[in-house]
Amino acid sequence: MDELTREFLIESQEGLDRMERCMTDLEERPQDAGLIGEIFRSVHTIKGTTGFLGFKRLEKLAHAGENLLGLLREGKLTANQPIITGLLQLLDGLRSILKTIEADNSEGEGADGVLIGWLEELQAPAHAQATRHARVKADAAPAELATPVTAPSAQIPQSAAPAQKMPVQAEGEPVKPRAAAGSAAESSLRVDVTLLNRMMNLVGELVLTRNQVLQATAADPNLTLLSRRLDMVTADLRESVMKARMQPVSNIFSKMPRIVRDLSQSLGRRVRLQVEGQDTELDKSLLEAIKDPLTHAVRNSLDHGIEPPEVREAAGKDPEGTLKLRAAQEGSHVIIEVSDDGAGIAVEKVRQKAIDRGLIAPERAAQLAERELLQLIFLPGFSTAAAVTSVSGRGVGMDVVRTNVEKIGGKVEIDSRTGKGTTLRLRIPLTLAIIPALIVRSVNQSFALPQGALSELVHIPPEKAAASIEWIEDAPLYRLRGKLLPLVFLEKLLMPGGQHKLTNERDNFIAVLDADGRRFGLVVDGLADPEEIVVKPLSAVLKTIGLYSGATVLGNADLALILDPGAIALKAGVNLRAEEEASGASESESDADEGKSMDYLLVEAAGRRAAVPLASVLRIEQVPVSRIEYIGYRPVLNFEGQLLPVEDSGGVLAAAQDNPEARIVVVVCREGGRHVGIAVSQVLDVAGGGELFEAGTNLPADGVTLLKERVTGIVDMGAIPPLPVAENVPGQWEQIPETVA
Amino acid sequence: MNSPKAQFPPKDKAAAALVEMCSVRLGQSLFGVPITHILEIVGSTRPQPVPLAPAFVGGLVHYRGDVLTTVSLRQLLGLPPQDGPQDILVLESSGGCFGLLVDSVGEVLTVSSADYEANPSILDERRRALFAGAYKLKDSLLVMLDPERLDPMHLAEAKAT
Repeated sequence: MDELTREFLIESQEGLDRMERCMTDLEERPQDAGLIGEIFRSVHTIKGTTGFLGFKRLEKLAHAGENLLGLLREGKLTANQPIITGLLQLLDGLRSILKTIEADNSEGEGADGVLIGWLEELQAPAHAQATRHARVKADAAPAELATPVTAPSAQIPQSAAPAQKMPVQAEGEPVKPRAAAGSAAESSLRVDVTLLNRMMNLVGELVLTRNQVLQATAADPNLTLLSRRLDMVTADLRESVMKARMQPVSNIFSKMPRIVRDLSQSLGRRVRLQVEGQDTELDKSLLEAIKDPLTHAVRNSLDHGIEPPEVREAAGKDPEGTLKLRAAQEGSHVIIEVSDDGAGIAVEKVRQKAIDRGLIAPERAAQLAERELLQLIFLPGFSTAAAVTSVSGRGVGMDVVRTNVEKIGGKVEIDSRTGKGTTLRLRIPLTLAIIPALIVRSVNQSFALPQGALSELVHIPPEKAAASIEWIEDAPLYRLRGKLLPLVFLEKLLMPGGQHKLTNERDNFIAVLDADGRRFGLVVDGLADPEEIVVKPLSAVLKTIGLYSGATVLGNADLALILDPGAIALKAGVNLRAEEEASGASESESDADEGKSMDYLLVEAAGRRAAVPLASVLRIEQVPVSRIEYIGYRPVLNFEGQLLPVEDSGGVLAAAQDNPEARIVVVVCREGGRHVGIAVSQVLDVAGGGELFEAGTNLPADGVTLLKERVTGIVDMGAIPPLPVAENVPGQWEQIPETVA
Repeated sequence: MNSPKAQFPPKDKAAAALVEMCSVRLGQSLFGVPITHILEIVGSTRPQPVPLAPAFVGGLVHYRGDVLTTVSLRQLLGLPPQDGPQDILVLESSGGCFGLLVDSVGEVLTVSSADYEANPSILDERRRALFAGAYKLKDSLLVMLDPERLDPMHLAEAKAT
């Protein structure tokens, strides 16, 4: 294919994408001249260029569309349902020809006669209306839920029939107007994705090399400045390259109105689509990966979730169902939610179906709680649709959604209330390539443990080793804040016949992991530093072991296997059930947890005790006082190449100032969108906080909690003032090394 | 290496093609891998062991930014493991790249297809499955290794059946 054609294809695809976005808006605002103009331009550009390149078939089709759009633009026609359907068909027609060109460099053979004829028919307003209506009547009877619905056939007249007045509107934020496209084109550049991928790989290598340089130069004060500089530049570069790969989720959300529209028509549903958070950005490869699961989830919601209008009315609901798509960033994850206000999942049906399909033994099914029953729909071969429809219910369904999402390191959660609706939540990591991990040691090797699953670390000194573990038969348990935590010995897992108890010769460490609701403690021989690791895929033969999700090269050039906490839990037999049994004794306590009670990190700063909400603690770092630098009077810490404001209301820094050798502890916390550090002299414990009420009024007291029977103040992180504004920061950076030196 | 140049093709020249083989030493035996399948030779490595991996997996090595799975030829042939660093042939097969751990890599030999003979029936089943015949050198044999048969995925499947 020559350069010109390729350029044409890319440009046309973009034009059609733009057209598709406008089409969904057009349904809401059929009079909007701007939208019609935009669609007209897209089609017109394609027509113009095709004539030049000699794609006759494409030109003919585009020409027919342009004529119709011309009339719309001049106001001689208004965009009614049949016309919009016709234009959507035109869009599909153009797309499929472009696809053929892309594949074999020729337009291929195809009869567009029907479509062209129909587009021409639509130009005569009255006539078109009449014939359309006649056909509509014919298949207007809404398909019953129990009977199989035929696939929306490829023939234009049938699928085009707007069965009933079922407008599907995209509500919420409108897709950004594309009026600014012209100026944006000048400041942006099209880059091949493979080039970006290569850059990403190279940056990954650079991060690796940086880690090695940092470790090698840690002892040499002459190189500290240089290596710190390298550290920062690498971090910036990585972020920029990653940003270059980011795309807004609107790229896939914009496909949904069309799918919802087509499906709700063929299923006889009335659905309003609400879209939120379209600007949320996600790595391109991840966006690609969630496209199918998301489409599937939307289909499921329409087919199984939202009831037909008459059923909804009978249940006293708005006959028009609401399907909500929401995207938002939460820390290092993007959350994508598909929620409907439909019938919800009938838990009893799920139980029965799972037994019928032989997915679970009846006696076991009887024991399962509602939440666990919902998890059953993720089993392969499960489908609750009473009838097999073309839309969903072929037995491949939620398990595929889950597999696809988990493949990219994401999680799927489901929440359903009978009669109220269902929410499916996809939790997607921001990026695939680089993850923070804790390096642990076992069987004389290093392993990487993704921090996403790590909730806390427990240190057991040698002298306490024997008394710390309790046993139920062969099952080792650790009592963590009053709750029993099942333990998995990594050594035993990796080497059958390995150690099965804590040693009293050296320190023991338990990494408390939370993988898909399975909580357990992984006993390891030792801990090394946390590192940002570059995930390298494993060969197929090692993937089948099932314990490792990849490998990485550490800062000291050692290779480390990346442990997969979920797989370890499965392999060691830790499941949701076991966890519930283990915590059964403290049921009432966990109920209270769901209420107000929170866990706090109990810290001590210059003799006083304070509490930091555990949920916002990211990391606890021990640093020499000399690493704390100052911008004006504000103490800051260069933490992983980023500037961290350090709160010192306890006066820990001031107390340690005279002794440059002194080490202080910085608790790194997430506060809103930023990270802050809190300087403390030591971390005492983690404990559940109790609610305190003011005597007399019974109002909950603010800013204090009851920790270990003592009233303890909670550190107010919101009160930590932000650092100087962004544009000043580079200048500050230049100065800092000098002040340090 | 003590192996001399292969004998040059006998009379019927048309039938005899010349093939270049990289010779590999393992214990007492001499093996050959067609150089067209070799991407690179990495000397003196100590692969990182992978707990719970199939026995034939020799471990992982860092190779050009990727993590390469290696196959231990010693293990495959049931020989005792060797202490100390080993050489790695980075091989390409239809399933991707993998490393072959051998004691040492020798010179490249040119052999003639006229000297080729299929596996003798006396070999045990395991070796028959791994070897792809042998070339007769002047005073020794060059046992052929087929990268496809050494591919870890292939080995894992063969083991399963």
